[in-house]
Amino acid sequence: MMDAIIQVSAALIGTLAFGLIFNIRGKKLLVGALGGMLAWALFLLLGLWIPSEVARYFLVSVAIAGYAEIFARVLKTPTTTFVMVSLISLIPGSGLYYTVASALNGDLPQFLEKALHTLALAAALSLGIVVVSALVKHATAYRNKRKEQ
Amino acid sequence: MTTELLKTVVEIAVQMIQAGAEIHRVEDSICRIGTAYGAKRTDIFATTSNLIVSVEDTGGEVYTQTRRILSTGTDIERLDRLNALARHITATCPDAESIRRQLTAIASRNNRYPAWIYILACGICAAAFCVFFGSRAPWEILVALLVGCLTGLLIKLTEKFTVNRILARFFCSFAGSLLAIAALRIGLVQTIDTIIIGNIMSLIPGVGLTQSIRDLFIGDTFTAILRLIEAVLLALAIACGYVAAVLLMGGVAV
Repeated sequence: MMDAIIQVSAALIGTLAFGLIFNIRGKKLLVGALGGMLAWALFLLLGLWIPSEVARYFLVSVAIAGYAEIFARVLKTPTTTFVMVSLISLIPGSGLYYTVASALNGDLPQFLEKALHTLALAAALSLGIVVVSALVKHATAYRNKRKEQ
Repeated sequence: MTTELLKTVVEIAVQMIQAGAEIHRVEDSICRIGTAYGAKRTDIFATTSNLIVSVEDTGGEVYTQTRRILSTGTDIERLDRLNALARHITATCPDAESIRRQLTAIASRNNRYPAWIYILACGICAAAFCVFFGSRAPWEILVALLVGCLTGLLIKLTEKFTVNRILARFFCSFAGSLLAIAALRIGLVQTIDTIIIGNIMSLIPGVGLTQSIRDLFIGDTFTAILRLIEAVLLALAIACGYVAAVLLMGGVAV
């Protein structure tokens, strides 16, 4: 439990710092950082029922993309603002490291396993974002069409 | 629509792309502006490295401009202001001089965090992710902070001297890894795994990858491919930087 609290707080601080790197200001910075915290809390929570990391990545990505769509409308900023920072803690940076490290150690089976796992995580993450943005886009197009009629 | 006006509109598009805008959003904004000024048709083809805008006015005259874009980054505040400016132009159709003034205001330094905040943010980011990925030793976190700050400083410096981005990432990763291995050698830290991961997190092109997939599904295949290749090359450069540092120092074993 203690570990989870430390991880979630680290995600909050890390995301906040990333927001500064991307030159995000004011309320948007706060919302982005809270999204980052939420993302990892959700990831850990889902771990109670879903053991697969890839599946959890996808679900968290969908949830945070939804969060981004909502706050983008509230704060009148592109959705990308929050999608980019709030999902930072899910970017498989450690996967990349362990892939390279096992290549350096000459451990081919582990290299393949890590590389595939890293790619799967990145794919799940991107897919979640795409699913939400496609849904929102079609929903908006449908609404505009009905308004015209 | 005059040549002068088109120049400023194209400048807005270029700056949006440089600040990291989604391509379809840029194309959409420019088309709206064209319609607002009464153009018969507006054609725009944008990628992250090139931009062509062609406008046909009511008299049948066609104006075309093309621009080469050399560097892109992520600057959300600038992007927000450019978006607001594009909406404002669509609504009120101001003259070229007034748009130019507002562009200068957006480019002003006041809209950017000072360099020291950027450098410190890189350090905090690396330290936070060092903890995030399981490090609990104070010295490790401190070294991660230093490594992150060094990376941030190098990114700022390479930006100033317009070093190729891929080469710049390689150097940042290389220098950060060297510092971490040095800390390991003098016995300051027991392991450098989480330090390096923290540094990777502040360098990794996660934005490029997700944006590329989004572009792909929206239909901007060309931009998607460009972004994907750039993201993969950047990730490889970061990995190579670490490998080069390890090989130079003769392994990571103490």
